[in-house]
Amino acid sequence: MRAVSVKVNGHVRRREIKDNELLLDFLRDKVEVRSVKAACWRGECGLCTVMLDGALVKSCLVLAVEADGKEVRTVEGITVGGELTAIQRAFVEHGAAQCGFCTPAWVLATYDLLKKNPHPTEADLTEAVGGLVCRCGTYNQIREAVAEVAESTSKPRHRAAESLAQA
Amino acid sequence: MSFGSPYLTLPDFAYHRPATLEEAIALLREHGDEAKLMGGGVGLIAFMKERLMSPTHVIDMKGVAELKVVEEVPGRGMRIGAAATLEELLEEGKLKKGYAVLHEALSKVADPMIRRRATLVGNLCEAIPWVDSPPALIALDASVEILGTDGKRSAQVSKFIRGPVDIDLSPTEIVTAVEIPEARGRESAFEKFTAGSEFSVASVAVALLNEGRRRSARVVYGAVNPTPARCLEVEEEIKDGLTPASVRKAADAAYEKVECMDDVLASSPYRKHLVKVITTKVLRRMMGR
Repeated sequence: MRAVSVKVNGHVRRREIKDNELLLDFLRDKVEVRSVKAACWRGECGLCTVMLDGALVKSCLVLAVEADGKEVRTVEGITVGGELTAIQRAFVEHGAAQCGFCTPAWVLATYDLLKKNPHPTEADLTEAVGGLVCRCGTYNQIREAVAEVAESTSKPRHRAAESLAQA
Repeated sequence: MSFGSPYLTLPDFAYHRPATLEEAIALLREHGDEAKLMGGGVGLIAFMKERLMSPTHVIDMKGVAELKVVEEVPGRGMRIGAAATLEELLEEGKLKKGYAVLHEALSKVADPMIRRRATLVGNLCEAIPWVDSPPALIALDASVEILGTDGKRSAQVSKFIRGPVDIDLSPTEIVTAVEIPEARGRESAFEKFTAGSEFSVASVAVALLNEGRRRSARVVYGAVNPTPARCLEVEEEIKDGLTPASVRKAADAAYEKVECMDDVLASSPYRKHLVKVITTKVLRRMMGR
């Protein structure tokens, strides 16, 4: 066992872990962040996606010990003052969740995409979420939610023609 | 949470994060084949979950700063440190024109989240038949730089991969970098065919060299055999340049000469057909540039 300290959604969490523990298990079992889902356990479905020091990773392929001293953000950590972000509201409005199991990962991934690239093209979106799976098949609703958020912010002219909102 | 089944848990191991290559070599000397080196962990963690590997020591190489270095040495080529991730290599301007085949191969590996963690050296050292970096690296005539307890050595990627999941690396050696020779006037491209996953059913990596009077071609097929292999007959057809006629001849030569295996993904005749299709596709695209 060794002690690690990980900042999870703004709070420093100190826990005892074993060297062979996954970040996924650490978050779910030791920090009790249950929005991080365990499904395929082998990096294919993407439902355990979290932000590690600001970059999206699949937490089933990261050792907990690697996160020592780092910062993890999950979907709980993107709201500001308890208010839903624009993409979360758009997910609700467009019914972009059916069973909802994969929704935290999709929200996090599309939130991250829109932050880096406020006007993604269809290809940008497809590429960015290539590692995520929704077994209910709400892909179209997710696309609409992303398009709505993209449309609601002002758009640089040169990209307007190819932007997702007009696809 | 553990039900004691594979996929969910990892075998017991001690984690080490050396800060220098000397520390890493000392750990390997101490633990030998009980230890495994970890780059991005994408391959190793998955292998450990399936108990294909059960090391008692895992040595994480991400803390070794010098392995992060990616540099272009004029007159020599590219040197890619073992801890460089695929995402870093795909950053704009990193892999310039002459290295297009590698850029194209890496940009189709899995998804952006995996590419953020996975390293080129890790991808290469898995030596899984359907992985895309080996054919691209062989087309570029790349070598790996290896550090062992007795010093440094170098091995061509084509020889370094001995067979499926079999590389020329002893338990006390570390692959420290991939070196790709510079070539002026090199044109290169990659094409793969997949069926429902990111894994290749057939792939082809092409590099055409045009250095003054010396013209040559390297054409490497991946995922059709247990190890990637060049096809000299295809190379012969295109080394003097790409024309509609030479492309057609090259595609026919590929169909005739590239041996293709039967496995759960595809039959041998189907792979032969795919080889012809992707050869035509990649060469036509290069011709149109």
